[in-house]
Amino acid sequence: MQTDANDPRSVTAAEPATEGASRPVATVRGLHLRLPGGVHALRGVDLEIEAGEIVGLVGESGSGKTMLGLSLLGLAPAGARFEGEAWLAGTEMTAADSEARRLARREHAGAVFQDPMTSLNPTMKIGTQVGEAAASREAVVEALEQVGFPEPERRLGQYPHELSGGLRQRVMIAMAIARRPALVLLDEPTTALDVTLQRTTLKLLRGLRDELGVAMLFITHDLAVAAEIADRVAVLYAGRVAELGVPSAVFRHPSHPYTAGLLASRLALAGGDRDGELATLGGEPPDPRRLPPGCPFEPRCPFSREVCSLGLPALVPSPRHPGLDACVRAAEIAPELEAGAARALALAPPPVSSAPEPAPGVAALELRHVEKTFRSRRHEQRAVSDVSLTVPEGGALALVGESGCGKTTILRIAVALERAGGGAVELGPGGRPQMVFQDAGSSLTPWMTVRQLLDERVRTEGLGAAERSRRIDETLAWVGLSQEVATMRPSRLSGGQRQRVALARAVIVPPALLACDEPTSALDVSLAAVVINLLRRLRRELGVALLFVTHDLAVARAVAEEIAVMSAGRIVERGETDRVLREPQSEETRRLLEAVPSMERTWR
Amino acid sequence: MEPVALGQEPVTLSVRRAVLSALGPMERVGVALVLLITVVAALVPLIAPHGPYETVGLAYQSPAQHPLLGTDEVGRDLFSRLLYGLRSSWFSALVVVSAGAVIGLAIGLLAGVRGGWVDTVLMRITDAGLALPGPIIAIAVAVALGPSLIHTLIAVTVVWWPWYARIVRGETRAIVVRPHFDAARLAGVGRFRLAFRHVLPGALPAVVIAASVDLGYLVLTLAGLSFLGLGAPPPAPELGAMAYQGLDSLFSFPWIPLAPAFAVFVLAAAANMAGDGLRDLLEDV
Ligand code: SF4
Repeated sequence: MQTDANDPRSVTAAEPATEGASRPVATVRGLHLRLPGGVHALRGVDLEIEAGEIVGLVGESGSGKTMLGLSLLGLAPAGARFEGEAWLAGTEMTAADSEARRLARREHAGAVFQDPMTSLNPTMKIGTQVGEAAASREAVVEALEQVGFPEPERRLGQYPHELSGGLRQRVMIAMAIARRPALVLLDEPTTALDVTLQRTTLKLLRGLRDELGVAMLFITHDLAVAAEIADRVAVLYAGRVAELGVPSAVFRHPSHPYTAGLLASRLALAGGDRDGELATLGGEPPDPRRLPPGCPFEPRCPFSREVCSLGLPALVPSPRHPGLDACVRAAEIAPELEAGAARALALAPPPVSSAPEPAPGVAALELRHVEKTFRSRRHEQRAVSDVSLTVPEGGALALVGESGCGKTTILRIAVALERAGGGAVELGPGGRPQMVFQDAGSSLTPWMTVRQLLDERVRTEGLGAAERSRRIDETLAWVGLSQEVATMRPSRLSGGQRQRVALARAVIVPPALLACDEPTSALDVSLAAVVINLLRRLRRELGVALLFVTHDLAVARAVAEEIAVMSAGRIVERGETDRVLREPQSEETRRLLEAVPSMERTWR
Repeated sequence: MEPVALGQEPVTLSVRRAVLSALGPMERVGVALVLLITVVAALVPLIAPHGPYETVGLAYQSPAQHPLLGTDEVGRDLFSRLLYGLRSSWFSALVVVSAGAVIGLAIGLLAGVRGGWVDTVLMRITDAGLALPGPIIAIAVAVALGPSLIHTLIAVTVVWWPWYARIVRGETRAIVVRPHFDAARLAGVGRFRLAFRHVLPGALPAVVIAASVDLGYLVLTLAGLSFLGLGAPPPAPELGAMAYQGLDSLFSFPWIPLAPAFAVFVLAAAANMAGDGLRDLLEDV
């Protein structure tokens, strides 16, 4: 059931469902959710999901998108207090007892979460797990076939750890659809996957919707993913809907400054330049414990005026598209937003060969014919074969490829965490290379405070205590952290703060080479842009060279003027980033490029 | 059954509180008892009515004639001797557990962090230690060096530390593959600091758990050895030895052997209950 983009009423949530034609499978009305500990996670959400409709839910972490999904499924955390209604096909989930909620869930809903490994039971065979959702063996096989699981019959007896990430994901989806639910909740289902797998998964989900008519609530922080899959998209901010409508309208003509900000911090595959600062949303995602009385976006909003703090802006028809928005100044600021959005979506051809020729001379890192084979008792796995690359002093090279292509191994060899099995590794002059890890949280020793972690690093410089302390304060300020953070342990920090601390530790003694392992992949768009800006400043101000591993071509383009594409342990293409992305020579590069979700392509 | 994904309740915000309240009444009693026993054991010289070797009257007086527990076969105050015995048993067990844990920590940490041949050699030694028949070693030591409390404690420690070394080594191996260890290495942290600041605190909970669960078992083992004459030689007040010496009077004056036996039982049970509680607490949080 497609919604008509030109009829504002079709997106008006409060409209009661009439004629059987478009009965909503889920309706949320004025929903508030308070969690123990004073977190007001949802603050009056209205949303309706019609049969067979895919609704995208976007927003930064802490915006309440996951809580909204869980509330609809009656899975809100213990101790949660509700106001308002959340209907899942005839059951009001906020008032129903746990048995009624379970029944409603079992009959009408399915769910897929981000990490298939933790959501699957590792000790249970695939067939048995799907069998808990499906009625018979035939139904299990059918469900697996529907999600394109290869040779389901033969694999029923396998355990989750025997499957690849992509196949585990499919098992999860098969479980979610096995009972033919009316609604499937998908919470960041593709975030942990690389682009090519992400593309396949999105296609699969759309296919399932068309085939089975199942409605989906698709939670993601990636606007382009939402644009690609959703029929309607709701932008959530601080537990409220900020903007709601058809993605092509909302993202082309955003009427809420928050949506516009999210769009502006997105990275494009073309256009823009690498030296200036990326547009970012100022500040961090809101702290749901401390929200302003008026518009929740007010502290970060470049357009805020006094009217904004008078009260919570209501969700009203947008002046710029047939959907709704919750900005009191939407009509006044429309022209400015229009210009901004045009800039964010512009597909200007990049300047040809703008990058300066790397100065022939000193290299920050040089790898020559590097090999690496991992041996375990029973088998050998060749991770890297004959890789040669150079990162010039102060230069930046991005290594891209699918998961398992060997890019992380190269990175670890470059910083000497791993020894090369063959070939030569040469580091240029300057201190020991540093690294920023993919999961910043787990790269910080959990029982040490931020100050201890940083101090440990400066200590190697042989400075006095006062000098060290001054350096720590300076570096924290440089990455945009306040002094209070110094006394905290990592578990008390937000994801963005952890990434900044990790960065601070890596640069408090400026290295000649900084290796980065997907430092932005787990971050919200606004935070990713902040991290990329910090890396750019690092190059500009301190002349640090970057070796940057990512599976995201847009991120690669934003940080590095040179790119090397890897596949199965080898470098298959290498050159100036803009040229490689514009005129890909290898099959692998083309595949990666095609898989990138892109609003521009979606609407072409 | 419903799909696993839906069956999982989302993580609650108050895991810690939930676990604390999940600590059953038995475990809470255990923890309280262990604390109480430690305090009492430390204060015994102040609270015991008489010295452990002091003759206070006729032998074999009943509790009615001489409070609280009467006198033993040579006229010493049984209650005071019981307190001193409890003190000796409890502290002996604590000493063995601590010594075992410290040795185990050092060896396990070294093996786990260094890896390679150091790991192989140390773990071979540890496995050999694990294979030793504990009581027989203790008997051999006592026979070779003469019975004394110190010898027994050394003998038991020798067979005890390998358990901790195994545990610490396992934990250490799991910690050194985590990114924070690599990150610290890259930060240029020295080996000692790496081991003590970035690994040890993570391995500690497992050792504390093991040690607390072991405490009760050690009380029993030490009492058993002392019962066999492999502890401090008489007339030292030791619960095992007292029970053995009092056996003769089991039918005429049953409280003389039963009181020390009962004290052993209380110590072991309390330590066990507390250990279980501590394990639940540290493992789940
Ligand atoms: S209401 Fe005001 S503060 Fe809120 S988004 Fe609109 S302009 Fe910004």
